[in-house]
Amino acid sequence: MKKKFDRENIAYVVVFSFVVCAVFVAGLAAANEATADRVRANREFASQAAVLDALGIAYADPAEAAGLYANAVRPIEGAVPRAYVAERPDGLHYAVEMTGAGLWGAITIVAAAGESLERLDGIQIIAQNETPGLGGRIDEPWFKEQFRGERIAGGRVRISAGAEAGGSGAKNPDDGLVDGVSGATRTSQAMELILAKAIARLAEVAGGGK
Amino acid sequence: MSAKPGKIFIDNLWFNNPVLIQVLGICSTLAVTNNVRNTLVMTVGVSLATAFSSWTLSLMKDLIPRKVRMIVQVLVISFYVILIDILLRAYLPDASRQLGPYVGLIITNCIIMGRAEAFAAANKPLISFWDGLTSGIGYMAVLVAIALVRELLGFGSVLGFRVMPEGFVPWTIMITAPSAFFLVAMVMWLARNLQARREAAAKAAKAAKAAPKPAAGPSPAKA
Repeated sequence: MKKKFDRENIAYVVVFSFVVCAVFVAGLAAANEATADRVRANREFASQAAVLDALGIAYADPAEAAGLYANAVRPIEGAVPRAYVAERPDGLHYAVEMTGAGLWGAITIVAAAGESLERLDGIQIIAQNETPGLGGRIDEPWFKEQFRGERIAGGRVRISAGAEAGGSGAKNPDDGLVDGVSGATRTSQAMELILAKAIARLAEVAGGGK
Repeated sequence: MSAKPGKIFIDNLWFNNPVLIQVLGICSTLAVTNNVRNTLVMTVGVSLATAFSSWTLSLMKDLIPRKVRMIVQVLVISFYVILIDILLRAYLPDASRQLGPYVGLIITNCIIMGRAEAFAAANKPLISFWDGLTSGIGYMAVLVAIALVRELLGFGSVLGFRVMPEGFVPWTIMITAPSAFFLVAMVMWLARNLQARREAAAKAAKAAKAAPKPAAGPSPAKA
């Protein structure tokens, strides 16, 4: 099986490798470029939606979310990590991003509260890598809904370990205590700490800090 | 080596199943199978990546120098996997977020390179595509079967729909990786036993057909 050219010739190997890499990488670059706007829009929607969710502002679809966000929410310039202020009928509300260590990786949340910092408006999870089905359940609606209107007691909202009642969550918004996820004590503890940091940050931002 | 499409399909699904017999792609078998939906997205991704990379590599096989054969295989495989990742991010952002790093890890799935090396390097493009696709389906069949058991016992649901009664206590171990170890082992044991039994039966039938004369001949003499 003699070929016309020598496939193992070093010059051919180099040229071939170069051309093949260039062709495939160009293909990927084109695909990336073609979908870049869509991906950016998705990402923007995800981050706006998280802030709206935390503030407790309801929306039906991405278009409505973008409109509500543009009307009500203003990012605070130069705030690191990111913080937002929203004018609501009952006064100013603030939302902050906060990242902290979970069991496996970082957990990033958005937490929102009114200016007086008496109660949380709510929280939303932006990113987490907890065990699917255990710690990962912090992303389930029943867990996040517990924080809606929950009283902030002593600068924090406590999360009790192993108290979860059949996936319905704590009902009392006045005790500053919500249910943790059964079987995910470490993740629940991590959430409590991250939330405490977020509340401290909310106080800082509400006081005019960045 | 010009196998028929039907035989390739049966081989990849059963007699030469990538997970059960070749024991490839085990990492993802352990990682994604606690949830049927993620398993489906992942295995469809693997099937498409295997099919298209086998097809492409088979098209290129006469041009690839042997020295850089594997580098080119990895390049082509990662091309398709990254393409899948880009498409998921653009059109299925929720699934993309849930699958997270798993999509990128398809690149390291040994089944894809295994088929590129064992089949596509010596066969025509279309049949290589078919071989890759059916290998992926064989992988999917095993993973979905395991995911059904794990999601049912670990969450009490199938595809997110609750099917177990109210009082059912979820088996936490089914959600974590260890359960995949023993479920994979059990499925392998079952499959190999079935195959071995069938093989033995086929051998016995063959022997019975071929044997009568030599077997009948010497036995009376011995007696």
